Amino acid sequence: MLKDNFNLAYKNIRERMSRSILTLLGIAIGIMAIISLMGLGEGMNQAVTGELSSLSDTIIVSVGQGLDIGSIFSGGGLDETNGEYLTERDIADVKRIQGIKKVSTQLSGGGILRYNSLDVAASLTGMDVNVMHISYGIEDLESGSLLEIGDQNKCLIGYSVAHEYFDSDIAVGSRIKINGEKNVVNGIFSQYGTGGIGSTDDLVLITSRDFKKITGQSNITSATIQVYDVTNVESIADEIEQVINENHGEDDFVSATTMSSILESIQNIIGIMQMMLVAIASIALVVASIGIMNTMLTSVMERTREIGIMKAIGATNKDVMLIFIIEGMLLSIVGGIFGILLGVFGSQGITGLLTAGPMAGGGGGMSLTPIISIGSIGLAVGVSLVVGVLSSLYPAWKAARMSPIEAVRYE
Amino acid sequence: MNTDVIITKNISKTYGTGDIKVHALRHTNINIKRGDYIAIIGPSGSGKSTFMNLIGCLDKPSSGKLFIDGTDVSQLNENQLATIRREKIGFIFQKYNLIPTLNALENVSLSTSFAGVKNKDRLKRAEKLLGMVDLSKRMLHKPSEMSGGEQQRVAIARALSNDPSIILADEPTGNVDTKSGNRIMGILEDINNKGETVIIVTHDPNIAKRAKRILKIQDGVVSEENA
Ligand SMILES: Nc1ncnc2c1ncn2[C@@H]1O[C@H](COP(=O)(O)OP(=O)(O)O)[C@@H](O)[C@H]1O
Ligand SMILES: [Mg+2]
Repeated sequence: MLKDNFNLAYKNIRERMSRSILTLLGIAIGIMAIISLMGLGEGMNQAVTGELSSLSDTIIVSVGQGLDIGSIFSGGGLDETNGEYLTERDIADVKRIQGIKKVSTQLSGGGILRYNSLDVAASLTGMDVNVMHISYGIEDLESGSLLEIGDQNKCLIGYSVAHEYFDSDIAVGSRIKINGEKNVVNGIFSQYGTGGIGSTDDLVLITSRDFKKITGQSNITSATIQVYDVTNVESIADEIEQVINENHGEDDFVSATTMSSILESIQNIIGIMQMMLVAIASIALVVASIGIMNTMLTSVMERTREIGIMKAIGATNKDVMLIFIIEGMLLSIVGGIFGILLGVFGSQGITGLLTAGPMAGGGGGMSLTPIISIGSIGLAVGVSLVVGVLSSLYPAWKAARMSPIEAVRYE
Repeated sequence: MNTDVIITKNISKTYGTGDIKVHALRHTNINIKRGDYIAIIGPSGSGKSTFMNLIGCLDKPSSGKLFIDGTDVSQLNENQLATIRREKIGFIFQKYNLIPTLNALENVSLSTSFAGVKNKDRLKRAEKLLGMVDLSKRMLHKPSEMSGGEQQRVAIARALSNDPSIILADEPTGNVDTKSGNRIMGILEDINNKGETVIIVTHDPNIAKRAKRILKIQDGVVSEENA
């Protein structure tokens, strides 16, 4: 019985080949959209997770509202505070908290750069070398390399500092003076472009030690803290906030943000994004299912006589419905399989567009590889099954209602 | 009484509602014995097809009772009627009415598929029946690749596939040439000789004469035509 239904469905689909292919294409496009967008979302998720989960023992302490997600995406840079800084006492108190492995500070302040006997005012950032390695990678540089532990009088400069501040370009190995101190340019950041939060274009980055030596100041804008036990990281972060807020007599002078909480909120955002993408892709599926319904309705009209014949020779309403539902399902499943194949390749294409196109800047140094799981393929197959059945229900019902008299009419 | 395979009790069929009503069949009382061979004659539009469609359970009478093989089918719902058609009736139409996308073998085995017969048994039976109507060599051909006479023989094989109690043929030779028509009549008579009840509608007096009993319909009124 079932075998016959498949046979009949297959023959009818073949009989109306071009129409079937068009219908099938609709489903294929819908499924392709779902598969590739889900794959992209998953790829994005894993790229972010991979980049940030290695930092799960890290807490970032900063004055004010703390890190936002935008600055994490752009490489972890922190920006000017309103003239308020952490104090040495804050750092000393934090160091006394149980379970803390290491505290590194980031300093900032103004300075004068001299190159080719030209002076330009710039803002300086001091960082411990290990924090530098957390915040930036070699992929953020257009040339040179990051600083290493023990380096002295070496600096990293932003793209604009290197190429726009002075008459002539600064290259790796060039000597510049910072507040009169000789420094060698060890690396130059790639153009950040979009500006705003986290931009590296105007950065002059030196070690914390050099910063204190050069400026005579220690304006701590933020601190990066590592803990021994990752499971305690949230409670330690709370404790840090409490201690520093007490020092300054304010309720929210400082915020201590853990990487895992940032990771969580990023994953939430990606999850929402993924759902939105799938919802958009679903519109394609709805259109496709209307396509199936239309094709099936036309088929029912054309086969009025055939349906009458089948009923005349003993098909029940259920038999007739099954024939049309199987036909719709077959169309949809075959379309779905094409969609999955297209989706697997299509997502590579979309990735290509994203990394080459105008959105590339937002991606920072992150590499995005779409990940298509067995789960999403299973979902696609399931969805096309359901779409096939749902969109052929009404045509099948119409077919089943036809009378066996149709077989003998117009004789 | 239990030898009668068809009993009609005062059945009528009226088409249409309101002012324009067509009384296609009027108060008909007919008993048909098992194994009988009946020809139905009458002018065009007299109600022959209406009568056949009622007996074949393709349509319901407007009033009266109809017994097929002892079952009162005038009270049955659509699905129960489908079951009666599948188990008791073999219908042969004037225009063959084969499924165009299926080949001869598939067409013949289709109704047994609705009956839930196993695949192997179905195909075996369909092959046998196609052999009986002399179409063993055309089993894998589609209707469009066969002549009218051949298609009608496929339709006969299909009508027999469920081993029905009644074979109904509404002008089975109406669309084929004389030679094919004779051949088709020969097959139907063979079937009747094996004990099957056969009812045919025909315009041809020569064909009608070969039947054991002739019913004449005029303006929806059925009467016995005595030979
Ligand atoms: N579905 C229908 N609706 C309305 N009138 C019909 C319908 N079918 C048949 N009739 C009418 O009923 C009468 C008998 O038709 P039919 O049984 O087909 O005659 P026959 O087969 O003897 O030529 C005719 O007048 C015909 O027009
Ligand atoms: Mg007729």
